[in-house]
Amino acid sequence: MSFNVIGKSVIRVDGLAKVTGKAVYPQDIYMDGMLYGKTLRSTVPHAYFTLDTSKAEKIEGVVRIFTAKDVPGHNAHGVLFKDHEVFCAQKVRRIGDPLAFVVATSEKIAQKAVEAIEVKYEELPAVFDPVEAMKDEIKVHDGTSNIIYHYKLRKGNIEEGFAKSHVVVENVYKTSMVDHAFLQPEAGIAYVEEDGTIVVCAATQYPHFDQLEIAEAMGVPAEKVKVINPAVGGAFGGREDITLQIHLAIAAVATGGPVKAVYSREESFVAHSKRHPEIIKIKTGADKEGKLLALEAEIIADTGAYASWAINVTRKSGIHVTGPYVIPNVKVDAYAVYTNNPFCGAMRGFGATQVPIATEQQMDMLAEKLGISPVEIRLKNAFTKGSETANGQILTESVPLITCIKKVADALEMA
Amino acid sequence: MKKISLTVNGKLYQVEVEEDMRLLDLLRDKLGFTGVKEGCSEGECGACSVIMDGKLVTSCLIMAFQAEGKEIITIEGLQKEDGTLHPIQQAFLEEGAVQCGFCTPAMVLAAKALLDKNPHPTDEEIKEGISGNLCRCTGYAKIVSSVKKAAEYLNKGGK
Repeated sequence: MSFNVIGKSVIRVDGLAKVTGKAVYPQDIYMDGMLYGKTLRSTVPHAYFTLDTSKAEKIEGVVRIFTAKDVPGHNAHGVLFKDHEVFCAQKVRRIGDPLAFVVATSEKIAQKAVEAIEVKYEELPAVFDPVEAMKDEIKVHDGTSNIIYHYKLRKGNIEEGFAKSHVVVENVYKTSMVDHAFLQPEAGIAYVEEDGTIVVCAATQYPHFDQLEIAEAMGVPAEKVKVINPAVGGAFGGREDITLQIHLAIAAVATGGPVKAVYSREESFVAHSKRHPEIIKIKTGADKEGKLLALEAEIIADTGAYASWAINVTRKSGIHVTGPYVIPNVKVDAYAVYTNNPFCGAMRGFGATQVPIATEQQMDMLAEKLGISPVEIRLKNAFTKGSETANGQILTESVPLITCIKKVADALEMA
Repeated sequence: MKKISLTVNGKLYQVEVEEDMRLLDLLRDKLGFTGVKEGCSEGECGACSVIMDGKLVTSCLIMAFQAEGKEIITIEGLQKEDGTLHPIQQAFLEEGAVQCGFCTPAMVLAAKALLDKNPHPTDEEIKEGISGNLCRCTGYAKIVSSVKKAAEYLNKGGK
């Protein structure tokens, strides 16, 4: 049988446009009579605030300044929980929360007006340590516990597993917050079509969901919102949450549009999510031969001020903390916790990237204690076809991990 | 306002520029060369790179008035009018060195600036040649192999 694509090296469809510089990213769209938008963002992590826009409004070239009271529908968005505000109404929960969106005839004027808005903060105690945050003494969102998710995994009996273990290793690992740093900063343009359809053109990973979020915030049916996704300059999970889409839609409808906004690199860093930093407390036990017998882990994922994908990310960490190894006795508790840090969401691996830092170092330490090679201990425990994961999944398809480890070991000449 | 003249991709332009306008803004906003990308605005990412008088420069760190009398090459100047790609562009396509594409125009120009001066670069020299240009997607391996392939094409007298 022959295929057109499978087994062949195919030139990507958008490759030609990209090597010639003709691919259109949202910042490359210029429309007649377009206005420019700039966002005012919070500079403190936790505070009540008031705004005085009167001076900024008087600057020549400023068309309008939008704040929470200008959101026509729900002043809320978020992929799982609607815990983000389109514009904060009274309270900020992190540095970088959006407070206002200035629309002006030029980018320079918009920037000047953003700086002319007076913000008065009444600062509140903030919490930056997720372990502290779990005590709920300082609440990031009123009326809700900071612990927004608890993933619980139980398999076998860990007490028995550890009692039978010849070697046990216990440690705490911490991973850091990471930014996607995609090369194309957020940008977009919005306008209104003759029949009233709101068009938002922005680089996104989630156009169909953006459409719903824009519609809810605008108080219009979804079919009155069109989202156009032009070339996307990298994303890696960082474009799964709303950034400027709703601000642009509000501004385009109120001014007649088109309205364009392009974030600076600095604003991009504060506007989108990060990878969840995790504190991973882990205990691993193995028998004399190096067969794993028990694993106990507690994972605390700091989701910052907003949930974004915290539930899915934390669950994935909880599942993957066993590594790709068969372990008969497992106990995992993984928590997602609000703090006043930058918010965390999707980023490459979605929770599976953090945990190997702990799991695999544990494997190396067990091997060292047993006097066997790091390769040997992995080969003894690796998933193969038919293995059962700690959360009960039977792996029925291709599981070529052992082949892979052997090939790598041969290449490294350490087998 | 100041009136300057400069050559972009072989064509002479006479334009009025504001004192605080960057070469990047002139090329994108005024002349429409949107293949020039803005990634960081501080000369770190290299996405705005263009070739000015034979040297690769970051156009976000050059004021528009400094381009007076200069010859600039942007990505738009590489493809022939009949649509034939420059061998570097062809090599990038064939090797799969293009992913999100935001770094690509400047990366191709970085390769051109290198190969124009050094037609037989070693891997180390290629890595140094593109060291001012960040790519977040590819991991660079395919970009390096594209530049090697492009060198072969150019040394054979173009493809």
